[in-house]
Amino acid sequence: MPTSAPEPLLQVSALSTGYGKIEVLHGLDLSVGAGEMVALLGPNGAGKTTLLRAISGLLPKSGRVHFAGRDLSAASPRDMVRAGLVHVVEGHRVFTQLSVFDNLLLAGYGMPRREREGKVEEALAFFPEIAAKRNDRAVTLSGGQQQMLAVAQGLVRHPRLLMLDEPSAGLSPVLVDRVLAAAGRLRDAGTAILLVEQLIEKALLLADRVYALVRGSIVLEAAGSAPNLPKRLEEAYFGQPQPPLAAQG
Amino acid sequence: MLLSIVSYGLALGAVYALIGITYNVMFAASRVFSFTAGTVGMLGGVFGALCIDRMGMPVALGFLLTLAAGAVLGVITEVLTVRPVLKSLDQHLYVLSTLAFALMLQQLTAIEWSTEPQPFPRLLPFGPGFFDQQFWLPISACVLTIIGLEWLYRRTLVGRAFLAISEDNYAARALGLPEQRLRVASYALAGAIGTLAGFTGGEMMLAYFGNGPLLNFYGFVPVALGGMGSNRGAVAGGLALGLFQQTANFLVGGIFASVAIFVVFILVLLVRPEGFAGAAPARRV
Amino acid sequence: MNDSATLPLPAVQRLKAGSLEAWLPTAMLAIAGAALPLLGDSYLGVIATRAAIYWVLVSGLNLVVGFAGQIAIGWVALLTLGAYVTSVLCAGTVMPELSAYLALLIAGLVGAIFGLIIGLPALRLRTFYFAMTTLGFATIVTQVALAWKSVTGGGVGVPGPVLPWPFASPWGFYYFCLGLALLCTWMTTNIAASRFGRSLVALRDAEVAAEAVGISKPALLVTVFLFSGALAAIAGGLFASLQSYITPDAFTFDLSVLFFIAILIGGRGSILGPLLGTIILTALPEFAAPLVAWSTFLYAVLLLVIVLAVPGGIADMLDFKNRRPLERHREIRPRPELLAHIIPPSAQESLLKLENLSLSFGGVRAIDAVHLTLRTGEVHGLIGPNGSGKTTTLNVISGYYPPQQGQVRLNDKALAAGAAAARANQRIARTFQTPRLVGSASVLENVMIGATTAGRASFVESLLFLPRHRRDEARAQAAAMTALAAVGLDQLAFVRADRLQHSELRFVEIARALVLRPLFLLLDEPAAGLSVEEIKRLGALIVTISRQGTGVLLVEHHADLIFDICDRVTVLNLGKVLASGTPAEIRGHREVINAYLGA
Repeated sequence: MPTSAPEPLLQVSALSTGYGKIEVLHGLDLSVGAGEMVALLGPNGAGKTTLLRAISGLLPKSGRVHFAGRDLSAASPRDMVRAGLVHVVEGHRVFTQLSVFDNLLLAGYGMPRREREGKVEEALAFFPEIAAKRNDRAVTLSGGQQQMLAVAQGLVRHPRLLMLDEPSAGLSPVLVDRVLAAAGRLRDAGTAILLVEQLIEKALLLADRVYALVRGSIVLEAAGSAPNLPKRLEEAYFGQPQPPLAAQG
Repeated sequence: MLLSIVSYGLALGAVYALIGITYNVMFAASRVFSFTAGTVGMLGGVFGALCIDRMGMPVALGFLLTLAAGAVLGVITEVLTVRPVLKSLDQHLYVLSTLAFALMLQQLTAIEWSTEPQPFPRLLPFGPGFFDQQFWLPISACVLTIIGLEWLYRRTLVGRAFLAISEDNYAARALGLPEQRLRVASYALAGAIGTLAGFTGGEMMLAYFGNGPLLNFYGFVPVALGGMGSNRGAVAGGLALGLFQQTANFLVGGIFASVAIFVVFILVLLVRPEGFAGAAPARRV
Repeated sequence: MNDSATLPLPAVQRLKAGSLEAWLPTAMLAIAGAALPLLGDSYLGVIATRAAIYWVLVSGLNLVVGFAGQIAIGWVALLTLGAYVTSVLCAGTVMPELSAYLALLIAGLVGAIFGLIIGLPALRLRTFYFAMTTLGFATIVTQVALAWKSVTGGGVGVPGPVLPWPFASPWGFYYFCLGLALLCTWMTTNIAASRFGRSLVALRDAEVAAEAVGISKPALLVTVFLFSGALAAIAGGLFASLQSYITPDAFTFDLSVLFFIAILIGGRGSILGPLLGTIILTALPEFAAPLVAWSTFLYAVLLLVIVLAVPGGIADMLDFKNRRPLERHREIRPRPELLAHIIPPSAQESLLKLENLSLSFGGVRAIDAVHLTLRTGEVHGLIGPNGSGKTTTLNVISGYYPPQQGQVRLNDKALAAGAAAARANQRIARTFQTPRLVGSASVLENVMIGATTAGRASFVESLLFLPRHRRDEARAQAAAMTALAAVGLDQLAFVRADRLQHSELRFVEIARALVLRPLFLLLDEPAAGLSVEEIKRLGALIVTISRQGTGVLLVEHHADLIFDICDRVTVLNLGKVLASGTPAEIRGHREVINAYLGA
């Protein structure tokens, strides 16, 4: 007896967008359930960053975005943040001339002062390494620490869905593990996560579900634990492999 | 004589520095320069004379109204001439739109106020003295503005938000900062600083529509020399310019002083297009 | 090249007809102008004379502001200069009296030199800064005129020059100015339809691409500043004659504003638009008495309205040709067989070798010891994950960034590092990741920009429509049409480029590169945003280009395209060469796959 499934936390339908005359995304659908981690994989130029920008309102788009039961298709990034969807952009862009603490305060701009300072402390507690540097200017932080600061900024408002755009980019393997582990802890604590990643194996370890985006369309959707995923992804990226010359005789 | 050069030099230099700060605050908020910076400076003098002399208001009220008018003009600049062209692909339209608006304001002033320089009222009731108010008013306005801006940027969340949108507009938007509102507020602040410059410098420069292009240029020199967006550079540049101008005036007379300033300006820019404290330009390709 | 045989006939006819259409409005104005004295209104004559004089200045300034896009607001400085030089030389106060014609000529020379001085900062300064310096110049010149009493008469002024018979009378003088104005219209129209005009517009709207086709910004800007300065000064001399007596306050900032706004209202990149703009702005205050005091205010309002609402100005509003709707479902059908007419066969193979290229930005090594050999007749793919250094490599080859180590060799000769404008002469052409074209120009004009370095006529020859200029134009048009036909876009040749779809713009860029008859063609992600069918056709086109003898370096993300058409593939990762080989070898290369999948 089919029962209607609860509407997912984030439901994207028929989303198309681009830059100027170039259409980058061609009417795609995607969903993220409450408390689940979804990995968005794909080769460069596929449109993964564009997709996140369209969802959070940084880019104009056509199509529908439903979040937490509301139609937020025309929402600005500010509206999205207040609705509980936070987008941590690519490239660990923090405000280098401001202190770690100020960076986090700005993430809570508009909240009542007490509440803001409380939430900033909680975010810092999640990343003890940068908590130690709270009064240092962000420019003194290493790349990995800046990435942690960027994720911490995303946490200040206790979002229901956190979108992370390639948090591992430019980081050493050790730091990558740290950042991704933090994302895992967040998911365990109930925050839904939409994770864009280049590092397929590490992403597959954590993700509940996986999408593959190639040239602006979703070509694959599977559970994170599905068999043979790496091979399927390789074919999705590159097309069928040709048999090695030796085997062709 | 030396005292006169120093007092006029520092006082006018402070006015130029404040206009340079006006340019900088607008630039920090939007990454564009606006021709209205010098024009609001001119209007500071004109509104002051209008309110206090013509309409007989008390000095404090005239002062506040002038600052309010400056803020309003700043907002109009943003809404009318900057916001519509920021979205366009043509990078340089903002030069034309802000120029057009500045010209409109200037011509309006010439027609409605006067084409001749009009006297500016004495602001404080003490007589001409050793270190006269026409000198220390603009200098203290400049000092107070710098202190005020430091306090704003260091101690208030709004000020830090200004710094954030200035450094990385994209990241600020993504974080949920009300980027548009903050930009409008920056322009309002810049407009008020501009009229502050014109008001405190009113007795020296008189209420004259021709001060517009004058302040546009002499207010820009500190920015060009001190580096785009650097308020400290603008103050240093402004004071240096003021002193240089008065010294040159004394030595070779008004007209060759202007030529001298202009030549120095061009030469410095040709050698260091980004000014002394500025950053190198971004990559093109 | 026997490409005239391959030109579709209708296109040739359209080329000739276009020019007639363009001349009609100017011819009508000329006739109206010549007939003006019949009205017998001498006041009208004065206004018309003034408009003609202003147009002499504006026609030159148009090349600087409208075409080159330089915001030169203070050009009244040159009007002042020319007026004073002419008047003083004619008055005989400083040296023996000279004839008015000679004085005008000398003024022109002085104007040219000062035009260059005022304009030179444009090569170094940002737009806003340059605008400020021109304003400063205008103020300075007026102040010098006031101060240098012994020569200029200071505030008292000097009498203006008087032309000898038959141009001494008001109507006689009017005809002289009218004739000069028509001459300026003819000359600047010739420039607009020459490689100089197209290059100026390219510098304005697509500077990076302009460099890639060999356009030298300094040389071109120097030429226009000299020309524009000369015209402005001559106009100044005529202005002094019209006024009969000049004082420094005749040269107000308002005049500078008028000139500048006339060009913008008329529309950048047009001759007719600013001409109409000048006439309108000169005549307007005269016919409405209350408007005189408000004239500058109204000009400023007009400028604001134009900038916000119709940035293309009057020229845009009159561009009916480009309002005709285009066919909705257009397909790009390249005709690779035409490439034989474009790319000449070369006797021997050429090699483009990248040797040990390294370049860092900030502290980051963008490319590290990159080595690659590109052969003519081969398609060489360059792939790699984001941030691997593909675009940086391309930019180093095409000369935008000098490498910090290593060099690029063309047949054993090292290419000049950091000299992008020199590549065109070496027959190295490229396209860009995002199409860089002049939106307001037609597709044909955009492609003709590729023929800039092939042009032989000098600026003066183009100015005067001499035979060598006409030959250049015919050759450039023929080459561009053939290239457009080869990429399948000749039907859209006369359409404004910004009306085209993204995929069509990519092919226009390829056509522009083809006009350079390239030995080596560098393509930066040409397939991005193209449909599956278009990518297939692109692939076929690229293969034919290479079979004609061009060496193609293809930077791409589309794995299918790379593996389909490339003869060799090099993979970059984190700035270093990871692997190099045939497509089959690369496709099965474990490390390559891992790099992409991030294992």
